[in-house]
Amino acid sequence: MQLEIIIAGRGGEGVILLTSILTEGAFSLGIPVISSELHGMAQRGGSVISQVKLGDFYSPFIAYGNADYLIATSKEEAERNKIYLKPNGISFVNSSDPLPFHIDASTLAQKMDHPRGANLILLGFSIEKMGLNEKPFLEAIERHSPPLWREKNKKAFLLGFSISKGKGT
Amino acid sequence: MGNEAIAWGLLREGVSFVTSYPGTPASEILEAVMRFNEEYQLGIFAQWSINEKVAFELALAHSWLGGRSAVSMKQVGLNVALDPLMSAAYTGVKGGLLVISADDPGPYSSQTEQDSRFLAMFAKIPVFDPSSPKEAMEMIKEALELSERYRIPVMLRPTSWVCHARQGIVLEEELKSNPKILSLDKDPSHWAALPRRRYVLHKELNEKLRSIQKENAFRKIVFKRAKKAVVSSGFPFALLMDVLKSLNLEDSLDIYKVDRSFPLSLSLSEELSSYEEILVLEETYPVIELQIPYREKTKGRLDGTVPSEGELRPENILEALHILLGDLIFEKKNPLKEGAPPRLCPGCPHRAAFWAIKKAFPQGLLPSDIGCYTLGLEMEAVDAFLCMGAGVSLAEGFYLALKNAAQKIPPICSTVGDSTFFHACIPALIDAVNKKAAFVLVILDNATTAMTGGQPTPSNPPKDLRKVEMEKVIKGCGVEFVKVVDPFDFSEMVKSLKEAYAFCQEKEIPAVVISRSPCPLYKKVPPKRKLHFKEENCRGCMICVFESKCPALQEGEDKPIINWNLCRSCGLCAFICPNGALEVVEV
Repeated sequence: MQLEIIIAGRGGEGVILLTSILTEGAFSLGIPVISSELHGMAQRGGSVISQVKLGDFYSPFIAYGNADYLIATSKEEAERNKIYLKPNGISFVNSSDPLPFHIDASTLAQKMDHPRGANLILLGFSIEKMGLNEKPFLEAIERHSPPLWREKNKKAFLLGFSISKGKGT
Repeated sequence: MGNEAIAWGLLREGVSFVTSYPGTPASEILEAVMRFNEEYQLGIFAQWSINEKVAFELALAHSWLGGRSAVSMKQVGLNVALDPLMSAAYTGVKGGLLVISADDPGPYSSQTEQDSRFLAMFAKIPVFDPSSPKEAMEMIKEALELSERYRIPVMLRPTSWVCHARQGIVLEEELKSNPKILSLDKDPSHWAALPRRRYVLHKELNEKLRSIQKENAFRKIVFKRAKKAVVSSGFPFALLMDVLKSLNLEDSLDIYKVDRSFPLSLSLSEELSSYEEILVLEETYPVIELQIPYREKTKGRLDGTVPSEGELRPENILEALHILLGDLIFEKKNPLKEGAPPRLCPGCPHRAAFWAIKKAFPQGLLPSDIGCYTLGLEMEAVDAFLCMGAGVSLAEGFYLALKNAAQKIPPICSTVGDSTFFHACIPALIDAVNKKAAFVLVILDNATTAMTGGQPTPSNPPKDLRKVEMEKVIKGCGVEFVKVVDPFDFSEMVKSLKEAYAFCQEKEIPAVVISRSPCPLYKKVPPKRKLHFKEENCRGCMICVFESKCPALQEGEDKPIINWNLCRSCGLCAFICPNGALEVVEV
């Protein structure tokens, strides 16, 4: 397997958390992983990306036009970062637009009374579309969640996963 | 994460004393050492220091006593520790001493893009340059052994994308505690050398470097006796390998990977003599490039093949290969558009303090310092900042310069954080008292080192350490006006700033206001207040949006849009609103 994935959002939204869950889950599936993420100043609400490469790679950097997938927490960040995508690459976006591969994770998260779970809904949705098994990702969520949020986070992820399954592509 | 891999490598090699001062991208090294120390009950010394100079000296002392030590910091932190580093290269070490200085090409979170390897070269100590988390972990063994073999401090220089890369690494061993008897060999000719003996030590150091040069620390990755060669180290090597995979360059290039950037292995220089052309790919300055003796056939940063500033991306590597080989086809892409700029978080007490500073001193001259509060720039409450500690000396300098020029002096109000205050502001504050500089210093005391992930400060230490009272230190510096204010008490804050200014004017002495409120990222307090938006009162003036610059507020068509997920009900916008449309109620 060789997959290059960009996760794009705003600092403080949980982009680093999504990166950790994605990389640890993939590593548990026996896939070599290398990724990069932004810390420090960039975390303070500005635009941030993480780059994740699954398979045999040396560096975590993704050249423009090379990413298979883009996971974006908003339409704005999806638009800005589409330069990374391959011509046939796919964007998974948290947005209310009725477009393929878009999911209104914010509204879904509000409905389940867990507004900060929106990005986990988005991740669950994306993981299913990538055709990966959900189990190791749930385990990673369990490791990374504070006890209070553990069940809610897993529920959010599974909601996204099952919506994707129901909808097909 | 790379920083965790480095921490693991240190502990696996029996390092039993680790110090640091937080700074991106190095902060998580000591954090991980502390975590592993607890998890595996290693009983090693792992502590944050007040600044990098002290951190370095503590680690050196442990090394002189015979134990393996490490000190980690960001690249500009090494500037602060440069004095002891230069001298320690002469004195040498006993237990292995690893100096970890993490560079930030880009830069993403730093004042400069400086290359720590140049400082290693300047200090005349060897430096290793890892290309991945795994390699960083593995290099530590070799670096510490070299340090002990030659009794010389050795540097490990990772960059942001090694520190903050995550890589799957299978760990085969458990960490074990490894206690050692420590004692200082009475050897004043090394540890306490006076200038005339320093000449001898310098000579010894030069001999050490000559011997180290003879030890090979490079690998041939591709070797087909091609006519052209690429020499690479650090993160650019990883980029190069991924770029090569996508191209078909079978026999046209030989690839050399350099592990130790300084001193460059002599035999590498010899091997390179046979090539027609050599391309050097390294980050950020031309350190290897300058050591290659064949100037006329070497391409890199010096001749413009590789850009002289900014981080390298796969596109830069491709372009450099194109220049080297000529026949490579590549398409230039427009770089990424600027994204949203970083801002102070919702509920940040600094926002309230900056708002008050703007109210109290609308015509003020406003220096600041290094920390989250550089983001006060967005609120136009920061005019200038330079490096750690300069918040105080810039204020002093502006005042003394304008006074000496007999010009009108606007109110000068500087902002520094609590950790920054202890790090480098204290000598500057004493100097300002001494020189009769009249300005207001606001210490933004949020009880933590927030920008780098919430490390402790001397005034808010972990339970087992002694607390140093900030107010006592300030008074001890000779300051007479010290007032502690909660910045969310908005009118009191403005009033106190004005009082401080009147006092400093009258007495010709700096006056200090401590703006004290914990960082909401690291001290979660249950919400006692809730913001309410009474839309019927809103006249759509948007003053709340413009003055607060709060990420939870956005300019709407006729009313502000409030992002309730982000809002922390701090109440600043409610205080600002002239029409009573925003209100905070106790819950």
